[in-house]
Amino acid sequence: MSETIISVQDLSKSFGDHEVLRKIDIDVHVGEIICIVGSSGSGKSTLLRCINKLECQTSGKVMFYGKEIRDVQKEINEYRSKVGMVFQSFNLFNNMTVLENCMLCTRKVLHLSKEEAFDRAITHLKEVGMAPYVNAKPAQLSGGQKQRVAIARSLCMNPEVLLFDEPTSALDPEMVGEVLNVMKQLATTGLTMVIVTHEMAFARDVSTRTIFMDRGYVAEDAPPSQLFTNPKNPRTREFLSRYLAG
Amino acid sequence: MLSMFIKSDPQNPVEWMLFLADKYSGMFWEGTKLTLFIAVLGTILGFVLGYVIGVIQDAKISPGDHLIKKVLLRLVKILAAVYVEIFRDTPMIVQAMIIYFGIREANIDITPVSAGVLVTVLNTGAYMAETVRAGIGSIDLGQREGAWAMGMSPMKTMIYIVLPQAFKNIIPEMANTFLTNLKMTSVLNVIAVQELFMAAKTVGGNYYKYFESYLVIAVIYFVLCFFFNKVFIFLEKKMQGKSDYALAVEYMDND
Repeated sequence: MSETIISVQDLSKSFGDHEVLRKIDIDVHVGEIICIVGSSGSGKSTLLRCINKLECQTSGKVMFYGKEIRDVQKEINEYRSKVGMVFQSFNLFNNMTVLENCMLCTRKVLHLSKEEAFDRAITHLKEVGMAPYVNAKPAQLSGGQKQRVAIARSLCMNPEVLLFDEPTSALDPEMVGEVLNVMKQLATTGLTMVIVTHEMAFARDVSTRTIFMDRGYVAEDAPPSQLFTNPKNPRTREFLSRYLAG
Repeated sequence: MLSMFIKSDPQNPVEWMLFLADKYSGMFWEGTKLTLFIAVLGTILGFVLGYVIGVIQDAKISPGDHLIKKVLLRLVKILAAVYVEIFRDTPMIVQAMIIYFGIREANIDITPVSAGVLVTVLNTGAYMAETVRAGIGSIDLGQREGAWAMGMSPMKTMIYIVLPQAFKNIIPEMANTFLTNLKMTSVLNVIAVQELFMAAKTVGGNYYKYFESYLVIAVIYFVLCFFFNKVFIFLEKKMQGKSDYALAVEYMDND
């Protein structure tokens, strides 16, 4: 097994009395493509947000290359610059053009020169097919285009891991395809990805490991070939049968 | 050109207005300049103060912060809240008196004009702080999370992402504040600032023609506000930016 990048250990999260995550243990290794599936409210997105420290866990810890990420702003910033995140609602900066979106953080966080930042931005925008739109503002793009720009923006940081939080859930069916294609292509580059998704076919075809979450627990963690054809947990079976029936 | 309408023995209010405006044009001009000076300087500095206070009020204390930072931030936040509350809950005319005489009481020499600017700044700052806070609140949290997720510090996120967007949203309110200030400088006559209101009071007293004298400055205030209002509307339209964009055709073949 290759090196562990992120290790989530005994992580729990509650919002008030409501326990969203219960004692989660997950290791993310270099090169893995992990898809997290499960019904709404099972804690998938919260888990991803805890990994990125956008939510503070109630207990347990998140380790990055064996080092615990503490709740110190500086450490968190440093860590986040190496762990990219793509959101369901894109979160492109509305006051900036596509190009500025892709250059801001490489300039202000990684302190790249203008030329370097520009080259990176163009390279990754080409990768997602959005280079012709460098001068557009987010409001002028379709959902699928926005998400592709958001992916390019994250790639500009050269992240060690890229987290996707339901990247296609806010898109209409026609646009889902263009974003999934970009992600499939990324998967072939060896980039480590953790993807929360409702796209079962995508999870089955692209992931190297699929995690099924249920009521805040990791119910099953297996290669997709096993999880989708021969699930061990009855809850997984129930969930998948509903998807296959639908 | 106007001189042909000006009579040496004015009979009706209009003739008196023209007579006074002509005879004391110097005083009215000086008053206008001072009014503009205090309003512009006071508003700009007040905006700066308002932004600083607004950002402080928005700052969150995170559990992982150093104890000293936690205590300091809490203290600054309390001070900011007290300041905003005091200045929003008392009339500017009373603030002017208390600040001017308070500073003099402390044996510090301050000119009425400086005190006037100070009062305007503090008053504007308090109102702007609330406006800025609301402006920041109007920006979707996702905008910040997008920046945080790439390692931007909360401060940089505020400067590059949130404030530029909040600024755009609160331009109308900022224009409003400036127009209010332009008119509110009139209360500074109570601390003997020689602005427009004071000029009218003095001029009116010379001939016992208060009605006509105040009409003159009413016209001046109106013209000033009308003019600035149009300027702000123009600026706001400019800020909206283009609705289209140019495709970068040089990258087209890669699509």
